[in-house]
Amino acid sequence: MIFFTLFSYSYTKIVFVYFAFLFIFESCNPLFKRFILKSFEDVPGESDTKITRIERPIVPSVGLSVLWIGHATCLIQIGNKVFMTDPMFTNTAGIVTKRRTKPGIQIELLEKLDFILISHLHFDHLNYGSLNLLPKSATVVLPIEGMRYTPNMGFENYQELKLWENISLNDVRITAVPVKHFNGRYGFDIAWLDVDTYSGFVIEYEGKTVFFAGDTGYDSEKFKEIGKKFCIDVALIPIAPIEPHDFMKRVHTNPEEALQIFEDTQAKFMIPIHHRTFIQGLDSSITSAQEQLWQIVAERHLDDRVLILGIGEQKILIQ
Amino acid sequence: MRLRLKHHVVFAIILFSIFEFPFFRSYAQQPERLLGINSSWLLLQSIPNLTWTCYSAQTSFGFEWEITPLLYSFGMNKLNPRWHYFKVTQPERFTGSVEFNLTVQLFTSKVGKSYWGFSGQLIGHFPVIEYGEFMGLNGGIARYTNSFFSANYIVIGASTLFGFLHYNIKYNPIDKYWMHSIEFRFF
Repeated sequence: MIFFTLFSYSYTKIVFVYFAFLFIFESCNPLFKRFILKSFEDVPGESDTKITRIERPIVPSVGLSVLWIGHATCLIQIGNKVFMTDPMFTNTAGIVTKRRTKPGIQIELLEKLDFILISHLHFDHLNYGSLNLLPKSATVVLPIEGMRYTPNMGFENYQELKLWENISLNDVRITAVPVKHFNGRYGFDIAWLDVDTYSGFVIEYEGKTVFFAGDTGYDSEKFKEIGKKFCIDVALIPIAPIEPHDFMKRVHTNPEEALQIFEDTQAKFMIPIHHRTFIQGLDSSITSAQEQLWQIVAERHLDDRVLILGIGEQKILIQ
Repeated sequence: MRLRLKHHVVFAIILFSIFEFPFFRSYAQQPERLLGINSSWLLLQSIPNLTWTCYSAQTSFGFEWEITPLLYSFGMNKLNPRWHYFKVTQPERFTGSVEFNLTVQLFTSKVGKSYWGFSGQLIGHFPVIEYGEFMGLNGGIARYTNSFFSANYIVIGASTLFGFLHYNIKYNPIDKYWMHSIEFRFF
């Protein structure tokens, strides 16, 4: 019956619809087409990316440590509390964007997790498959409207934060802070979301302060304000995608702008994130953002404050 | 085909009921929780589903506009409201839900004496892959009415592409009528 229907009366209409879609795709912005096609390409640098996986991601006794798992996913430990930012462990983000490097920890080795921070609703930051792998005792902290995009995964607690709102739980204080990005998850929903569904977070515990910028473009005013309100020990700041910069700068920072955020927030250390994992723009290589950052850091002699971690590398910042 | 006055009246009643429905009005009074009705939302709602109806050796192609007055979501986190009226995010539907929806159909050829048809459906959505975001199954019952027939249908189907794209087969076992529909769900 289906075949009869499809290939008799409606055949010409289906052909028409097919060509209409083809026409729409062909008339799309060339930039958009290149983004789509780039996600299927092999890119230089993938095979050069070595992954170090440590056996004990949670350190028995530490003041402050950060382990970069890849993309915007970091395992932060402050004393006896463990935090994970934007968990991303799956092979794709959404359906088509291919992961280029493996995650930097074996998830089975994660003995405990207290807080999971989700900066916004995009597939590479709020990833259902990845969230489901994590210990369910954690509290999931989401930006505004995040609840309406999060399935039931059995986590003990969920908390949605408006900008500048904070949650205090077991002496940990987490504050949602403003960044510059864009709304929604599925593209179409940008149009009807009336509030900004993205934020950064500042974590405070035992006198240590971590700023997680999530995914952001550069906005001097916002970051200076964060710098004034908090005394930040380490800032986790995105550095990619870069190209095409005129387009990307509205919602993403390149290494130069990331360093400007570092300066505006007056953090003691910076760890670059959101690179070497996906190709999301038209960057020529998976390592191009990192190489640019290395060069600028060397020129400005910031090597001791800007800590460029490898995937799976852990840095103990305060013993 | 020319739209007649009665068609305009039907559309006006549907739009009026969306805006004036008491559940929606109370929901809209919580501005911080509101996914706003605006021109973009209306534009997306105006994109019709494609539908084929097969009956008495005739196949009619048509367009179908859909609204969801009521949806019960059972797959979302425990803090998200269970009941939704008209405005439903994709995850609230595809992670597991039962919805009551109403449709208006406009066929490209006459079905009986008219180009128009109406339906009410009670459909369940069940997640299969990635909480239903990549793939889910649909099942339920529907009643379709037009100037030629008024019949009950069993509905089964699947959804993909983040819950935006649904394919449903509808079968009436008594009269052996079939319908196929490709549906675009934005809310």
